[in-house]
Amino acid sequence: MREKLRKLGLDLPLLPTTAVGSYPKPEQLVEARRMMLAGRLKPKDLREMEERATKEWIALQEEIGLDVLVDGEMYRGDMATYFAENLEGFKISGLVRSYGNRYYRKPIIVGEVRWRGPITVDWWKFAQALTKKPIKGMITGPYTMMDWSFNEYYSSRKDACLDLAKALHQEVRALAEAGAKIIQIDEPALSTRPEELEEFVVDALEIVTRGVDAYFIAHVCYGAFEFIYPQMLELPVDNFDLEMSNSELDLVELFRRHPFTKDISFGVVDVHSHVIESVDLIKKRIRRALEVLSPEQLWIDPDCGLKTRTREEAIGKLQAMVKAVEEIRASLREG
Amino acid sequence: MELLTANTGSYPRIGDKPEQQKHRQAYARWEKGEISDEEFMRVQDEVTKEVIQEQVRAGLDLVTDGQVRWYDPISHIARRLKGFEIDGLLRFFDTNFYFRQPVVEGEVRWIGPILVEEFSFAKGVSPVPVKPVVTGPYTIARSSINRHYSDIEGLVLDLANAIGREIGELEKVGAEIVQVDEPAILKNPQDLELLRNAIEEMREHFKSASLALYTYFGDAAGIYEKLQELPVDIIGLDFTYSGNLVDIIEEKGSSKGLGLGLIDGRNTRMEKEAEVLPTLERIIPHVEGRPVYLNPSCGLEHLPRETAFAKLKNLVAIANKAREVLG
Repeated sequence: MREKLRKLGLDLPLLPTTAVGSYPKPEQLVEARRMMLAGRLKPKDLREMEERATKEWIALQEEIGLDVLVDGEMYRGDMATYFAENLEGFKISGLVRSYGNRYYRKPIIVGEVRWRGPITVDWWKFAQALTKKPIKGMITGPYTMMDWSFNEYYSSRKDACLDLAKALHQEVRALAEAGAKIIQIDEPALSTRPEELEEFVVDALEIVTRGVDAYFIAHVCYGAFEFIYPQMLELPVDNFDLEMSNSELDLVELFRRHPFTKDISFGVVDVHSHVIESVDLIKKRIRRALEVLSPEQLWIDPDCGLKTRTREEAIGKLQAMVKAVEEIRASLREG
Repeated sequence: MELLTANTGSYPRIGDKPEQQKHRQAYARWEKGEISDEEFMRVQDEVTKEVIQEQVRAGLDLVTDGQVRWYDPISHIARRLKGFEIDGLLRFFDTNFYFRQPVVEGEVRWIGPILVEEFSFAKGVSPVPVKPVVTGPYTIARSSINRHYSDIEGLVLDLANAIGREIGELEKVGAEIVQVDEPAILKNPQDLELLRNAIEEMREHFKSASLALYTYFGDAAGIYEKLQELPVDIIGLDFTYSGNLVDIIEEKGSSKGLGLGLIDGRNTRMEKEAEVLPTLERIIPHVEGRPVYLNPSCGLEHLPRETAFAKLKNLVAIANKAREVLG
């Protein structure tokens, strides 16, 4: 797919480094969001703080040396709720428990899902104006939006998913028109009901991406993609971003049996652990990937968004990752 | 026609009203060490009582304690058995709920009552019968990492022994019906014989209590006839995954009592009488076994509290209408 990247005008080094999406929010921003929700802070003031935090993460990513940057999602709460709040057809539910003493509010589809206008485009433009490196456009995919929402309107999961796909297609088009060349579709729920992949998920992603000239990445976390592999390769995207460091899966075996035919963003640092991986450990993981993947199809990133880590942990993990990639690149050049 | 109404298991422990926050607040304070175990227990007692009253207010004939004290359906049982350690979070079937995964480090054994106190408390505060709910040996085994047994059979049978003993204790304190949840069998129908052996092992440990085997989060149509052959008294079925379960019951009938999960316990959409009644009219004449329950397809904790209550009220209204129509 390097040809496609070149055609889009993207000249990326071998083993491009990137991040998955979210970074930790500064404490003041977390507090400010709380105050805004309680009606004690103006949206305009919150926006200013979000912009400041975004600027800081763009600068940090440049300093660390990532090749493809993300805006850090300083303006998002939950990845599904954020889109639900900005699309037509949704309400937000009362509290539901996710585990232990953690509760969240879940989107409810109450009417026909429709795109009202750009959701993430302003933030993409804001972030892209701060750097020469490409910024990924980021959307939560139709399958995950459907699976993570209650559905009071559509008669089936398929119908809900396909309408979401139509709405999100417009967002993707708007991102591409604004200049986004790499667009990531977050589908952490993808392996939830494996039989649905062929029933309608392939169609849904075809609707999302159809006719849009961009390099598409599908982000699938929570391991478990072995249940949908190799069928998953039918999805119309260029790159799969997979959680690998936190997976007990024997990839080498799996990819030997069914070669991976797309590009892959290979997660090499665990986002659930406080421990910063050593450069050697990360290099070992990359070398293992290179046993079954060619360097031309390999991107390197963390397993998932880093928002649950501290700022220092997130930076430490990315620095170790970039250093490991630089050393591997050098050894590849030497042959 | 004797159609009863029941809850299937969990019930939301907090709601969106200010007075419905106490469980969450007490939990947070207990985690920080600001309140004692006893104090947290007292709050859990209070909330258990409230969720039972709420189920009674909705009009149910058979309630549960809402599993208010459970961290999750798997680790709540496993952590009180010998042989288990408790590990990290894992997704609970295809829901957006996470459980702590048990790790089997040694021989699994029952070492003392797990649910007896919870059940006795619930029974003591409920004006209507209470049904204890236990996660079954097969589902616990499938949800665990096995580092001790050479195969799953050994683990399942030792778990069946332990859970059978627990049911024996529940029976001693007055449980007349015990629900054993085995959602995992729907994804692993090849293990039905193993499930049968596990149920036979469990049955060694109690006498007269009715055993209700509940399945959910999957389509039971393909194994419906096999489920009918198991040594259980009642079978719980989730209709939200299946296109033809109703046809199969209509055709094959049921020699056992049934728990009809026709009310979706995972979606906020309210069922319409006109959708559920015709299904009941089709199924009920073919069911010889007793009792027949109308219940949610699964525990209600996947819904907001307000919606859970509305679902139960709706369920009772539909059952009342069905009794009228079916005579």
